[in-house]
Amino acid sequence: MCRFQLVVYDLASPGKRFTLYVRGNLLARRLVAPSSTVISRRTLRNSLASNHGLVLFHLSASGRVSCMMSGDELNPAAVPQPVEDLHGDGRWLSQHTRFVQECKDGEPEVLFVGDSMVQLMQQYEVWREIFSPLHALNFGLAGDTTCNVLWRLQNGELENIRPKVVVLWVGTNNHEHTAEQVAGGIVAIAQLLTNRLPKAKIVVLGLLPRGERPNPLREKNAAVNRLLCSWLPRLGQALFLDVSSEFVHSDGAIGSQDMFDYLHLTSTGYRTLAKPLSDLLLQILEETPEERRASLV
Amino acid sequence: MDFFCTQSGKSKNMSAEASNPAATPTPCEDTQGDGRWMSQHVRFVSESKDREPDVLFVGDSLVQLMHQFGIWRQLFSPLHCLNFGIGGDATQHVLWRLSNGELDNISPKVVVLWVGTNNHGHTAEQVAGGIMANVQIIHNKLPHAHTLVLGVLPRGRMPNPLRERNTKVNKLVQDALSSLSHASFFNVDPGFVLSDGSISHQDMYDYLHLTAHGYQAVCEPLHAQIKSLLEKPAEN
Repeated sequence: MCRFQLVVYDLASPGKRFTLYVRGNLLARRLVAPSSTVISRRTLRNSLASNHGLVLFHLSASGRVSCMMSGDELNPAAVPQPVEDLHGDGRWLSQHTRFVQECKDGEPEVLFVGDSMVQLMQQYEVWREIFSPLHALNFGLAGDTTCNVLWRLQNGELENIRPKVVVLWVGTNNHEHTAEQVAGGIVAIAQLLTNRLPKAKIVVLGLLPRGERPNPLREKNAAVNRLLCSWLPRLGQALFLDVSSEFVHSDGAIGSQDMFDYLHLTSTGYRTLAKPLSDLLLQILEETPEERRASLV
Repeated sequence: MDFFCTQSGKSKNMSAEASNPAATPTPCEDTQGDGRWMSQHVRFVSESKDREPDVLFVGDSLVQLMHQFGIWRQLFSPLHCLNFGIGGDATQHVLWRLSNGELDNISPKVVVLWVGTNNHGHTAEQVAGGIMANVQIIHNKLPHAHTLVLGVLPRGRMPNPLRERNTKVNKLVQDALSSLSHASFFNVDPGFVLSDGSISHQDMYDYLHLTAHGYQAVCEPLHAQIKSLLEKPAEN
Protein backbone atom coordinates (compact mmCIF):
# COMPACT_ATOMS: atom_id res chain seq x y z
CA MET A 1 0.00 0.00 0.00
CA CYS A 2 1.33 3.38 -0.98
CA ARG A 3 1.61 5.81 1.84
CA PHE A 4 2.12 9.53 1.85
CA GLN A 5 3.63 11.72 4.47
CA LEU A 6 1.39 14.63 5.34
CA VAL A 7 3.03 17.72 6.71
CA VAL A 8 0.66 20.20 8.23
CA TYR A 9 1.23 23.88 8.94
CA ASP A 10 -1.07 26.09 10.93
CA LEU A 11 -1.39 29.46 9.20
CA ALA A 12 -2.71 31.43 12.14
CA SER A 13 -0.24 30.40 14.82
CA PRO A 14 2.62 27.95 14.42
CA GLY A 15 2.93 25.62 17.38
CA LYS A 16 -0.78 25.67 18.09
CA ARG A 17 -2.61 22.38 18.70
CA PHE A 18 -5.38 21.66 16.22
CA THR A 19 -7.42 18.86 14.74
CA LEU A 20 -7.34 18.09 11.03
CA TYR A 21 -10.48 16.81 9.33
CA VAL A 22 -10.58 15.45 5.83
CA ARG A 23 -14.07 15.17 4.38
CA GLY A 24 -15.60 14.68 7.77
CA ASN A 25 -13.24 11.80 8.65
CA LEU A 26 -10.86 12.45 11.43
CA LEU A 27 -7.43 12.20 9.86
CA ALA A 28 -5.22 13.07 12.70
CA ARG A 29 -5.88 13.99 16.24
CA ARG A 30 -4.31 16.73 18.23
CA LEU A 31 -1.34 17.33 16.03
CA VAL A 32 1.16 19.92 17.04
CA ALA A 33 2.21 21.87 13.95
CA PRO A 34 4.47 21.50 12.14
CA SER A 35 3.99 17.78 12.33
CA SER A 36 3.52 14.80 10.12
CA THR A 37 1.36 11.75 9.91
CA VAL A 38 1.08 8.87 7.51
CA ILE A 39 -2.05 8.48 5.40
CA SER A 40 -3.18 5.99 2.76
CA ARG A 41 -3.42 6.78 -0.95
CA ARG A 42 -7.22 6.53 -0.81
CA THR A 43 -7.43 9.04 2.01
CA LEU A 44 -5.13 11.36 0.11
CA ARG A 45 -7.23 11.06 -3.06
CA ASN A 46 -10.39 11.72 -1.09
CA SER A 47 -8.89 14.70 0.63
CA LEU A 48 -7.61 16.18 -2.63
CA ALA A 49 -11.13 15.95 -4.06
CA SER A 50 -12.59 17.95 -1.26
CA ASN A 51 -10.62 20.77 0.20
CA HIS A 52 -13.05 21.82 2.82
CA GLY A 53 -11.18 22.98 5.85
CA LEU A 54 -7.93 23.13 3.88
CA VAL A 55 -6.65 26.00 1.87
CA LEU A 56 -4.48 23.91 -0.40
CA PHE A 57 -2.60 20.73 -0.91
CA HIS A 58 0.71 20.52 -2.65
CA LEU A 59 1.93 17.15 -3.81
CA SER A 60 5.64 17.22 -4.43
CA ALA A 61 7.56 14.89 -6.71
CA SER A 62 8.77 12.85 -3.74
CA GLY A 63 5.19 12.13 -2.72
CA ARG A 64 5.23 14.50 0.19
CA VAL A 65 2.00 16.33 0.63
CA SER A 66 2.02 19.63 2.42
CA CYS A 67 -1.08 21.54 3.17
CA MET A 68 -1.75 24.90 4.61
CA MET A 69 -4.88 25.57 6.54
CA SER A 70 -6.46 28.21 8.64
CA GLY A 71 -7.51 26.63 11.90
CA ASP A 72 -10.03 23.88 11.24
CA GLU A 73 -12.60 25.94 9.40
CA LEU A 74 -13.34 26.53 5.72
CA ASN A 75 -11.53 29.65 4.53
CA PRO A 76 -14.25 31.89 3.09
CA ALA A 77 -11.62 33.88 1.16
CA ALA A 78 -10.75 30.71 -0.76
CA VAL A 79 -14.30 29.89 -1.85
CA PRO A 80 -14.87 30.72 -5.53
CA GLN A 81 -17.73 33.16 -5.97
CA PRO A 82 -19.01 35.24 -8.88
CA VAL A 83 -20.21 38.81 -8.29
CA GLU A 84 -23.97 39.33 -8.10
CA ASP A 85 -25.44 41.84 -10.54
CA LEU A 86 -26.85 44.23 -7.95
CA HIS A 87 -27.05 47.30 -10.16
CA GLY A 88 -28.78 45.71 -13.14
CA ASP A 89 -26.35 46.27 -16.01
CA GLY A 90 -24.45 42.98 -15.84
CA ARG A 91 -21.05 44.60 -16.16
CA TRP A 92 -19.09 42.08 -14.11
CA LEU A 93 -20.19 39.17 -16.23
CA SER A 94 -19.68 41.17 -19.44
CA GLN A 95 -16.07 41.78 -18.49
CA HIS A 96 -15.50 38.14 -17.48
CA THR A 97 -17.00 36.97 -20.80
CA ARG A 98 -14.69 39.31 -22.67
CA PHE A 99 -11.66 37.92 -20.82
CA VAL A 100 -12.68 34.34 -21.67
CA GLN A 101 -12.92 35.40 -25.32
CA GLU A 102 -9.48 37.03 -25.12
CA CYS A 103 -8.10 33.66 -23.99
CA LYS A 104 -9.32 32.15 -27.25
CA ASP A 105 -7.78 34.90 -29.35
CA GLY A 106 -4.54 35.74 -27.56
CA GLU A 107 -1.23 34.06 -26.80
CA PRO A 108 0.06 36.08 -23.87
CA GLU A 109 3.47 35.58 -22.31
CA VAL A 110 2.34 37.50 -19.23
CA LEU A 111 -1.09 37.42 -17.63
CA PHE A 112 -2.12 40.09 -15.10
CA VAL A 113 -5.08 39.14 -12.91
CA GLY A 114 -6.71 40.84 -9.95
CA ASP A 115 -8.83 43.81 -8.93
CA SER A 116 -8.99 47.52 -9.88
CA MET A 117 -5.28 47.96 -9.11
CA VAL A 118 -4.65 45.66 -12.09
CA GLN A 119 -7.51 46.94 -14.25
CA LEU A 120 -6.63 50.60 -13.95
CA MET A 121 -3.00 49.95 -14.89
CA GLN A 122 -4.12 49.20 -18.43
CA GLN A 123 -5.70 52.65 -18.81
CA TYR A 124 -2.44 54.51 -18.26
CA GLU A 125 0.49 55.13 -20.64
CA VAL A 126 2.70 52.91 -18.49
CA TRP A 127 0.83 49.83 -19.80
CA ARG A 128 1.42 50.69 -23.45
CA GLU A 129 5.05 51.59 -22.81
CA ILE A 130 6.19 48.83 -20.48
CA PHE A 131 3.80 45.88 -20.20
CA SER A 132 2.05 45.64 -23.55
CA PRO A 133 5.39 45.01 -25.32
CA LEU A 134 5.82 41.92 -23.11
CA HIS A 135 2.66 40.44 -24.74
CA ALA A 136 0.58 40.89 -21.65
CA LEU A 137 -3.13 40.37 -21.10
CA ASN A 138 -4.98 42.23 -18.36
CA PHE A 139 -7.79 40.44 -16.51
CA GLY A 140 -8.22 42.96 -13.74
CA LEU A 141 -11.76 43.62 -12.51
CA ALA A 142 -12.55 46.46 -10.12
CA GLY A 143 -14.01 45.46 -6.79
CA ASP A 144 -12.95 41.82 -7.00
CA THR A 145 -12.05 39.84 -3.90
CA THR A 146 -9.95 36.65 -3.84
CA CYS A 147 -13.23 34.70 -4.15
CA ASN A 148 -14.18 36.47 -7.36
CA VAL A 149 -10.75 36.05 -8.97
CA LEU A 150 -10.77 32.37 -8.00
CA TRP A 151 -14.15 31.91 -9.68
CA ARG A 152 -13.04 33.67 -12.86
CA LEU A 153 -9.87 31.60 -13.16
CA GLN A 154 -11.85 28.39 -12.67
CA ASN A 155 -14.46 29.43 -15.23
CA GLY A 156 -12.56 30.03 -18.43
CA GLU A 157 -9.98 32.73 -17.88
CA LEU A 158 -7.13 30.22 -18.02
CA GLU A 159 -8.36 28.22 -21.02
CA ASN A 160 -6.12 27.95 -24.09
CA ILE A 161 -3.36 30.19 -22.79
CA ARG A 162 0.13 29.34 -21.56
CA PRO A 163 1.70 32.47 -20.17
CA LYS A 164 5.21 32.19 -18.78
CA VAL A 165 4.35 34.53 -15.91
CA VAL A 166 1.16 35.36 -14.07
CA VAL A 167 1.06 38.57 -12.03
CA LEU A 168 -1.51 38.29 -9.24
CA TRP A 169 -2.68 41.38 -7.34
CA VAL A 170 -5.81 40.99 -5.21
CA GLY A 171 -6.89 41.13 -1.57
CA THR A 172 -7.52 44.77 -0.70
CA ASN A 173 -11.29 44.38 -1.27
CA ASN A 174 -11.70 41.37 1.08
CA HIS A 175 -13.45 43.47 3.73
CA GLU A 176 -15.29 40.56 5.37
CA HIS A 177 -12.16 38.51 5.92
CA THR A 178 -9.27 38.49 8.37
CA ALA A 179 -5.67 38.98 7.25
CA GLU A 180 -5.04 35.24 7.61
CA GLN A 181 -8.04 34.41 5.49
CA VAL A 182 -7.07 36.92 2.81
CA ALA A 183 -3.51 35.57 2.66
CA GLY A 184 -4.93 32.04 2.50
CA GLY A 185 -7.17 33.09 -0.39
CA ILE A 186 -4.26 34.58 -2.30
CA VAL A 187 -2.18 31.42 -1.72
CA ALA A 188 -5.14 29.33 -2.94
CA ILE A 189 -5.18 31.32 -6.19
CA ALA A 190 -1.41 30.93 -6.56
CA GLN A 191 -1.81 27.20 -6.01
CA LEU A 192 -4.55 27.00 -8.65
CA LEU A 193 -2.34 28.86 -11.10
CA THR A 194 0.56 26.51 -10.42
CA ASN A 195 -1.68 23.47 -10.90
CA ARG A 196 -3.03 24.77 -14.21
CA LEU A 197 0.23 26.29 -15.49
CA PRO A 198 3.00 24.12 -14.05
CA LYS A 199 5.71 25.87 -16.01
CA ALA A 200 4.68 29.41 -15.15
CA LYS A 201 6.14 31.68 -12.51
CA ILE A 202 3.60 33.42 -10.31
CA VAL A 203 4.46 36.94 -9.20
CA VAL A 204 2.28 37.95 -6.28
CA LEU A 205 2.19 41.68 -5.58
CA GLY A 206 1.92 42.84 -1.98
CA LEU A 207 -1.17 44.79 -0.97
CA LEU A 208 -0.45 48.49 -0.95
CA PRO A 209 -1.16 50.66 2.08
CA ARG A 210 -4.36 52.67 1.80
CA GLY A 211 -5.97 55.67 3.43
CA GLU A 212 -4.34 59.07 3.83
CA ARG A 213 -3.11 58.36 7.38
CA PRO A 214 -2.42 55.20 9.42
CA ASN A 215 -5.61 53.19 9.91
CA PRO A 216 -6.71 49.57 10.57
CA LEU A 217 -6.76 48.65 6.86
CA ARG A 218 -3.09 49.55 6.55
CA GLU A 219 -2.31 47.20 9.42
CA LYS A 220 -4.43 44.47 7.88
CA ASN A 221 -2.81 44.75 4.45
CA ALA A 222 0.65 44.73 6.06
CA ALA A 223 -0.29 41.58 7.99
CA VAL A 224 -1.43 39.93 4.76
CA ASN A 225 1.92 40.81 3.19
CA ARG A 226 3.89 39.37 6.12
CA LEU A 227 1.98 36.09 5.82
CA LEU A 228 2.45 35.96 2.05
CA CYS A 229 6.15 36.58 2.46
CA SER A 230 6.49 33.48 4.63
CA TRP A 231 4.00 31.18 2.88
CA LEU A 232 4.63 31.80 -0.82
CA PRO A 233 8.17 30.40 -0.95
CA ARG A 234 6.67 27.00 -0.11
CA LEU A 235 4.95 26.97 -3.48
CA GLY A 236 8.19 26.95 -5.40
CA GLN A 237 6.88 28.76 -8.46
CA ALA A 238 5.72 31.84 -6.60
CA LEU A 239 7.58 35.10 -6.04
CA PHE A 240 6.50 37.95 -3.80
CA LEU A 241 7.06 41.61 -4.71
CA ASP A 242 6.10 44.32 -2.22
CA VAL A 243 6.62 48.01 -3.00
CA SER A 244 4.48 49.30 -0.12
CA SER A 245 7.28 51.29 1.50
CA GLU A 246 7.59 53.52 -1.57
CA PHE A 247 4.23 55.13 -0.88
CA VAL A 248 4.24 56.08 2.79
CA HIS A 249 5.99 59.31 3.75
CA SER A 250 8.00 59.72 6.95
CA ASP A 251 4.98 61.25 8.71
CA GLY A 252 2.84 58.23 7.81
CA ALA A 253 0.88 60.06 5.12
CA ILE A 254 0.15 58.87 1.63
CA GLY A 255 0.09 61.65 -0.98
CA SER A 256 -2.61 62.21 -3.57
CA GLN A 257 0.17 62.53 -6.17
CA ASP A 258 0.65 58.76 -5.76
CA MET A 259 -2.92 57.66 -4.93
CA PHE A 260 -5.59 60.10 -6.10
CA ASP A 261 -8.14 58.70 -3.65
CA TYR A 262 -5.65 57.15 -1.18
CA LEU A 263 -6.27 53.71 -2.71
CA HIS A 264 -5.94 53.84 -6.51
CA LEU A 265 -2.65 54.81 -8.13
CA THR A 266 -2.02 57.83 -10.28
CA SER A 267 0.19 57.67 -13.35
CA THR A 268 3.12 58.59 -11.08
CA GLY A 269 2.17 55.90 -8.60
CA TYR A 270 2.09 53.23 -11.30
CA ARG A 271 5.53 54.21 -12.53
CA THR A 272 6.91 53.62 -9.03
CA LEU A 273 5.52 50.09 -9.18
CA ALA A 274 6.30 49.47 -12.85
CA LYS A 275 10.08 49.73 -12.54
CA PRO A 276 10.75 46.84 -10.11
CA LEU A 277 7.90 44.79 -11.58
CA SER A 278 9.08 45.08 -15.18
CA ASP A 279 12.67 44.35 -14.10
CA LEU A 280 11.45 41.15 -12.46
CA LEU A 281 9.31 40.14 -15.44
CA LEU A 282 12.14 40.72 -17.89
CA GLN A 283 14.42 38.62 -15.72
CA ILE A 284 11.91 35.76 -15.70
CA LEU A 285 11.15 36.02 -19.41
CA GLU A 286 14.79 36.14 -20.39
CA GLU A 287 15.63 32.95 -18.54
CA THR A 288 16.37 30.13 -20.96
CA PRO A 289 14.52 26.85 -20.40
CA GLU A 290 17.73 25.37 -18.90
CA GLU A 291 18.06 28.25 -16.45
CA ARG A 292 14.41 27.94 -15.49
CA ARG A 293 14.70 24.18 -14.85
CA ALA A 294 17.78 24.78 -12.73
CA SER A 295 16.05 27.46 -10.67
CA LEU A 296 13.09 25.20 -9.83
CA VAL A 297 15.09 22.35 -8.29
CA MET B 1 -14.22 50.76 -8.81
CA ASP B 2 -16.63 49.72 -6.12
CA PHE B 3 -17.44 51.93 -3.22
CA PHE B 4 -20.04 51.54 -0.55
CA CYS B 5 -21.76 54.68 0.58
CA THR B 6 -24.78 54.13 2.75
CA GLN B 7 -27.42 56.72 3.35
CA SER B 8 -28.02 57.84 6.88
CA GLY B 9 -31.55 58.98 7.65
CA LYS B 10 -33.94 57.12 5.36
CA SER B 11 -37.02 59.09 4.36
CA LYS B 12 -40.36 57.32 4.57
CA ASN B 13 -42.09 59.17 1.76
CA MET B 14 -40.40 58.96 -1.63
CA SER B 15 -42.78 61.26 -3.51
CA ALA B 16 -41.50 64.32 -5.30
CA GLU B 17 -43.19 66.67 -2.82
CA ALA B 18 -41.82 65.00 0.32
CA SER B 19 -38.11 64.58 1.03
CA ASN B 20 -36.09 63.06 -1.78
CA PRO B 21 -33.14 60.95 -0.56
CA ALA B 22 -31.24 61.89 -3.73
CA ALA B 23 -31.67 65.56 -2.77
CA THR B 24 -30.89 65.22 0.95
CA PRO B 25 -27.28 66.13 1.74
CA THR B 26 -25.67 62.93 3.02
CA PRO B 27 -22.00 62.27 3.76
CA CYS B 28 -20.54 58.90 2.86
CA GLU B 29 -20.19 56.50 5.80
CA ASP B 30 -16.72 55.09 6.36
CA THR B 31 -17.72 51.43 6.10
CA GLN B 32 -14.29 50.18 5.07
CA GLY B 33 -12.27 51.82 7.85
CA ASP B 34 -9.71 54.02 6.12
CA GLY B 35 -11.69 57.27 5.98
CA ARG B 36 -10.82 57.93 2.35
CA TRP B 37 -14.01 59.78 1.41
CA MET B 38 -13.59 62.31 4.19
CA SER B 39 -9.86 62.68 3.42
CA GLN B 40 -10.69 63.61 -0.15
CA HIS B 41 -13.43 66.05 0.94
CA VAL B 42 -11.06 67.75 3.41
CA ARG B 43 -8.43 68.03 0.68
CA PHE B 44 -10.97 69.71 -1.63
CA VAL B 45 -12.01 72.18 1.07
CA SER B 46 -8.34 73.02 1.55
CA GLU B 47 -7.87 73.48 -2.20
CA SER B 48 -10.83 75.89 -2.17
CA LYS B 49 -8.97 78.01 0.35
CA ASP B 50 -5.70 78.03 -1.57
CA ARG B 51 -6.68 78.22 -5.21
CA GLU B 52 -8.58 80.53 -7.54
CA PRO B 53 -10.06 78.34 -10.25
CA ASP B 54 -12.00 79.72 -13.20
CA VAL B 55 -13.66 76.34 -13.70
CA LEU B 56 -14.71 73.80 -11.08
CA PHE B 57 -15.51 70.18 -11.99
CA VAL B 58 -17.59 68.33 -9.43
CA GLY B 59 -19.15 64.86 -9.39
CA ASP B 60 -18.33 61.16 -9.27
CA SER B 61 -15.62 58.84 -10.65
CA LEU B 62 -16.21 60.00 -14.22
CA VAL B 63 -15.04 63.45 -13.06
CA GLN B 64 -12.29 62.10 -10.79
CA LEU B 65 -10.71 59.84 -13.41
CA MET B 66 -10.70 62.63 -16.01
CA HIS B 67 -8.01 64.22 -13.88
CA GLN B 68 -5.76 61.16 -14.20
CA PHE B 69 -5.50 61.19 -17.97
CA GLY B 70 -3.26 63.31 -20.20
CA ILE B 71 -6.31 65.03 -21.62
CA TRP B 72 -6.76 66.97 -18.37
CA ARG B 73 -3.36 68.58 -18.57
CA GLN B 74 -3.84 69.15 -22.29
CA LEU B 75 -7.29 70.74 -22.31
CA PHE B 76 -8.32 71.78 -18.81
CA SER B 77 -5.25 72.73 -16.80
CA PRO B 78 -4.70 75.78 -19.05
CA LEU B 79 -8.20 76.96 -18.12
CA HIS B 80 -7.36 76.97 -14.37
CA CYS B 81 -9.59 74.11 -13.32
CA LEU B 82 -10.12 72.28 -10.04
CA ASN B 83 -11.39 68.71 -9.91
CA PHE B 84 -13.64 67.72 -7.00
CA GLY B 85 -14.75 64.31 -8.23
CA ILE B 86 -15.04 61.34 -5.85
CA GLY B 87 -15.59 57.80 -7.10
CA GLY B 88 -18.89 56.25 -6.03
CA ASP B 89 -20.60 59.53 -5.18
CA ALA B 90 -24.32 59.86 -5.79
CA THR B 91 -26.19 63.19 -5.97
CA GLN B 92 -26.77 63.36 -2.19
CA HIS B 93 -23.05 62.93 -1.46
CA VAL B 94 -22.02 65.70 -3.85
CA LEU B 95 -24.76 67.88 -2.32
CA TRP B 96 -23.31 67.35 1.16
CA ARG B 97 -19.80 68.20 -0.02
CA LEU B 98 -20.94 71.39 -1.75
CA SER B 99 -22.88 72.37 1.39
CA ASN B 100 -19.87 71.77 3.62
CA GLY B 101 -17.04 73.88 2.38
CA GLU B 102 -16.12 72.86 -1.16
CA LEU B 103 -17.67 76.00 -2.64
CA ASP B 104 -16.34 78.37 -0.01
CA ASN B 105 -13.63 80.90 -0.85
CA ILE B 106 -13.76 80.35 -4.62
CA SER B 107 -15.55 82.15 -7.43
CA PRO B 108 -15.25 80.12 -10.62
CA LYS B 109 -17.04 81.39 -13.69
CA VAL B 110 -18.16 77.88 -14.68
CA VAL B 111 -19.07 74.84 -12.60
CA VAL B 112 -19.23 71.52 -14.46
CA LEU B 113 -21.57 69.10 -12.65
CA TRP B 114 -21.49 65.42 -13.64
CA VAL B 115 -23.30 63.04 -11.27
CA GLY B 116 -26.27 60.67 -11.19
CA THR B 117 -25.08 57.27 -12.38
CA ASN B 118 -24.41 55.95 -8.85
CA ASN B 119 -27.88 56.72 -7.44
CA HIS B 120 -28.82 53.05 -7.05
CA GLY B 121 -32.28 52.43 -5.70
CA HIS B 122 -33.55 55.88 -6.69
CA THR B 123 -36.10 56.54 -9.43
CA ALA B 124 -35.28 58.74 -12.43
CA GLU B 125 -37.42 61.50 -10.88
CA GLN B 126 -35.49 61.31 -7.62
CA VAL B 127 -32.12 61.39 -9.39
CA ALA B 128 -33.18 64.37 -11.48
CA GLY B 129 -34.35 66.07 -8.29
CA GLY B 130 -30.96 65.37 -6.75
CA ILE B 131 -29.13 66.88 -9.70
CA MET B 132 -31.34 69.98 -9.58
CA ALA B 133 -30.70 70.31 -5.83
CA ASN B 134 -26.99 70.50 -6.65
CA VAL B 135 -27.65 73.12 -9.34
CA GLN B 136 -29.57 75.12 -6.71
CA ILE B 137 -26.88 75.04 -4.06
CA ILE B 138 -24.22 76.03 -6.58
CA HIS B 139 -26.36 79.02 -7.56
CA ASN B 140 -26.94 79.95 -3.91
CA LYS B 141 -23.25 79.92 -3.09
CA LEU B 142 -21.90 81.14 -6.43
CA PRO B 143 -24.54 83.49 -7.85
CA HIS B 144 -22.27 84.63 -10.67
CA ALA B 145 -21.27 81.17 -11.92
CA HIS B 146 -22.81 79.29 -14.81
CA THR B 147 -23.43 75.60 -14.10
CA LEU B 148 -22.97 73.18 -16.98
CA VAL B 149 -24.82 69.96 -16.20
CA LEU B 150 -23.44 67.03 -18.17
CA GLY B 151 -25.81 64.28 -19.28
CA VAL B 152 -25.44 60.93 -17.53
CA LEU B 153 -23.82 58.46 -19.93
CA PRO B 154 -25.27 55.09 -20.97
CA ARG B 155 -23.71 52.08 -19.20
CA GLY B 156 -23.54 48.30 -19.45
CA ARG B 157 -22.40 46.39 -22.51
CA MET B 158 -25.93 45.85 -23.86
CA PRO B 159 -29.31 47.59 -23.30
CA ASN B 160 -30.44 47.33 -19.67
CA PRO B 161 -32.70 49.15 -17.16
CA LEU B 162 -29.95 51.52 -16.02
CA ARG B 163 -29.58 52.87 -19.55
CA GLU B 164 -33.29 53.61 -19.61
CA ARG B 165 -33.15 55.29 -16.22
CA ASN B 166 -30.16 57.45 -17.17
CA THR B 167 -31.89 58.52 -20.41
CA LYS B 168 -34.99 59.50 -18.45
CA VAL B 169 -32.90 61.43 -15.90
CA ASN B 170 -31.30 63.40 -18.72
CA LYS B 171 -34.68 64.28 -20.22
CA LEU B 172 -36.06 65.47 -16.87
CA VAL B 173 -32.95 67.51 -16.10
CA GLN B 174 -32.83 69.04 -19.55
CA ASP B 175 -36.48 70.15 -19.17
CA ALA B 176 -35.89 71.59 -15.70
CA LEU B 177 -32.82 73.52 -16.83
CA SER B 178 -34.46 75.03 -19.89
CA SER B 179 -36.10 77.75 -17.80
CA LEU B 180 -32.91 78.75 -15.98
CA SER B 181 -30.39 81.33 -17.17
CA HIS B 182 -27.61 80.40 -14.73
CA ALA B 183 -27.39 76.75 -15.75
CA SER B 184 -27.63 74.63 -18.89
CA PHE B 185 -27.63 71.00 -19.97
CA PHE B 186 -24.79 69.65 -22.09
CA ASN B 187 -24.92 66.24 -23.75
CA VAL B 188 -21.40 64.73 -23.84
CA ASP B 189 -22.43 61.37 -25.32
CA PRO B 190 -20.82 61.27 -28.77
CA GLY B 191 -22.79 58.13 -29.60
CA PHE B 192 -21.20 55.49 -27.37
CA VAL B 193 -24.08 53.11 -28.09
CA LEU B 194 -23.41 51.41 -31.43
CA SER B 195 -26.04 50.33 -33.96
CA ASP B 196 -26.32 46.86 -32.37
CA GLY B 197 -27.00 48.43 -28.98
CA SER B 198 -23.57 47.59 -27.59
CA ILE B 199 -20.99 49.80 -25.93
CA SER B 200 -17.40 49.04 -26.82
CA HIS B 201 -14.73 48.37 -24.20
CA GLN B 202 -12.49 50.65 -26.29
CA ASP B 203 -14.68 53.52 -25.06
CA MET B 204 -15.61 52.18 -21.61
CA TYR B 205 -13.19 49.55 -20.33
CA ASP B 206 -15.73 48.20 -17.84
CA TYR B 207 -18.85 49.47 -19.65
CA LEU B 208 -19.10 52.38 -17.18
CA HIS B 209 -15.75 54.15 -16.88
CA LEU B 210 -14.14 55.85 -19.86
CA THR B 211 -10.86 54.89 -21.48
CA ALA B 212 -8.46 57.60 -22.64
CA HIS B 213 -10.13 57.23 -26.05
CA GLY B 214 -13.59 57.66 -24.52
CA TYR B 215 -12.47 60.76 -22.61
CA GLN B 216 -11.08 62.26 -25.83
CA ALA B 217 -14.53 62.05 -27.43
CA VAL B 218 -16.21 63.60 -24.38
CA CYS B 219 -13.67 66.26 -23.49
CA GLU B 220 -13.10 67.93 -26.83
CA PRO B 221 -16.66 69.26 -27.25
CA LEU B 222 -16.83 69.92 -23.49
CA HIS B 223 -13.67 71.99 -23.66
CA ALA B 224 -15.10 74.04 -26.53
CA GLN B 225 -18.31 74.65 -24.60
CA ILE B 226 -16.46 75.74 -21.46
CA LYS B 227 -14.24 78.07 -23.44
CA SER B 228 -17.25 79.77 -24.99
CA LEU B 229 -18.81 80.20 -21.53
CA LEU B 230 -15.59 81.69 -20.17
CA GLU B 231 -15.47 84.17 -23.00
CA LYS B 232 -18.95 85.50 -22.22
CA PRO B 233 -19.34 88.41 -19.81
CA ALA B 234 -20.06 87.33 -16.20
CA GLU B 235 -23.66 86.34 -15.23
CA ASN B 236 -25.56 88.73 -12.96
